[in-house]
Amino acid sequence: MATQTATPTKPKQDSAVEQKIQELRTLFADAPEMAKTGLEHALPSLMSQAAEAQASETESAGRIGIRQGTVSELTVIAPFAPGGAKRLRAVLRLLNGNFSGGRKVGTLHNMRFVFVDNDTRFLFATAYDGQWDPYIDDFATKIPDEMDVIFSAFEGWPGIHSPKVKDWIVKHQIPAEGWYVAHPDLSVAEAGRLKHIGKAVDEFLDKLNE
Amino acid sequence: MPTQTATANRPKQSLTVDEKIQKMRELYADAPEIGKTALENGLPTLTQALAAPSAEQTAGRIGLRQGKVSELCVFLPFVKGGAKRLRGFLQLLEGNFRAADAVGTVHDMRFVFVDNDTKLLFATAYDGDFDEYIDDFAAKIPNAMDLWLCNCEGYPGMRSGKAKEWIFDHQIAAEAWYVNSPNLTAAETRRLEKVGKAVEELLDKIG
Repeated sequence: MATQTATPTKPKQDSAVEQKIQELRTLFADAPEMAKTGLEHALPSLMSQAAEAQASETESAGRIGIRQGTVSELTVIAPFAPGGAKRLRAVLRLLNGNFSGGRKVGTLHNMRFVFVDNDTRFLFATAYDGQWDPYIDDFATKIPDEMDVIFSAFEGWPGIHSPKVKDWIVKHQIPAEGWYVAHPDLSVAEAGRLKHIGKAVDEFLDKLNE
Repeated sequence: MPTQTATANRPKQSLTVDEKIQKMRELYADAPEIGKTALENGLPTLTQALAAPSAEQTAGRIGLRQGKVSELCVFLPFVKGGAKRLRGFLQLLEGNFRAADAVGTVHDMRFVFVDNDTKLLFATAYDGDFDEYIDDFAAKIPNAMDLWLCNCEGYPGMRSGKAKEWIFDHQIAAEAWYVNSPNLTAAETRRLEKVGKAVEELLDKIG
């Protein structure tokens, strides 16, 4: 699939800003009028962004997917197995957002399940820390049963313990073309540490004011 | 589309934990063998999750929220040439979405090209409710929005006053949404990062 090769073919960082602007204008030459106007309005801030591009460039998340700083993206779209949509919807409703398993993995920022195309396919998207392979390994070692309860709703799911599971995921994963993270250096662990520090500082200040 | 009303007609949480487990067993009676085994093995953990109070709320008009963090997910058909233009644009940006920084309530966002470049999947995690979030984009970064979304069919323009309805029409509410730190807004994260840095400096000075 053409989209899967997007990561390695990104242009080199050192291309001149002017050249990028020129490429943008070329890209937008046949765009709707609204877009051309938008481009001209946005150019000044786009230029400064491009000049600072080194700061937060998008990198690869390993085998597949892209990463900003420490945070990577995984997006999977796959068909439901017969009866899978009904089963999964009911399970998700019973769970009511309580994914204690997600917390156990320890590198998961967020995760969504979306049913698309009249319940024939699902979208599973997560933001996580680090590289693709260790992330999938983490799911397999820390919450294998939860994974199988949920993912057995999908066609061809080989089982989290199967040697084919990574191939199944890669086959259905589509790497993002664009990925933004507001705090690219904030891992799940670091967020936990900062919340802890914030609380300690608040308590300290309270004591000073007693 | 039936999925769009998912948020509204969730069942009331009046079932006991035992009833929920019973329901899970019924649901998985005709599941693949992998799923059935996993259900039995995973019951202790599942029981904890089923016993917990609901962790999910709505993000207002559409979408789910956990704590303060909401999800938005839209599938937008590309106009002719739109996929090529947006791909080129995103590659030139190299991940530098300064515009999203300007909004101040975005946690993350992804652009995924699906179904052989015929549709854009845009998914984001953000703070608060749908209406205010879209209003924020319209007020703070209308140009950037027009640059992204003009590549999609029927986009009325951020200044048209119709953009919110258009997004709503294409949005599919998630069936489930998990956030590791549900009470950590983007603003609170910025504050904590400052506090953390200040504490380190203080400790350095003391040391």
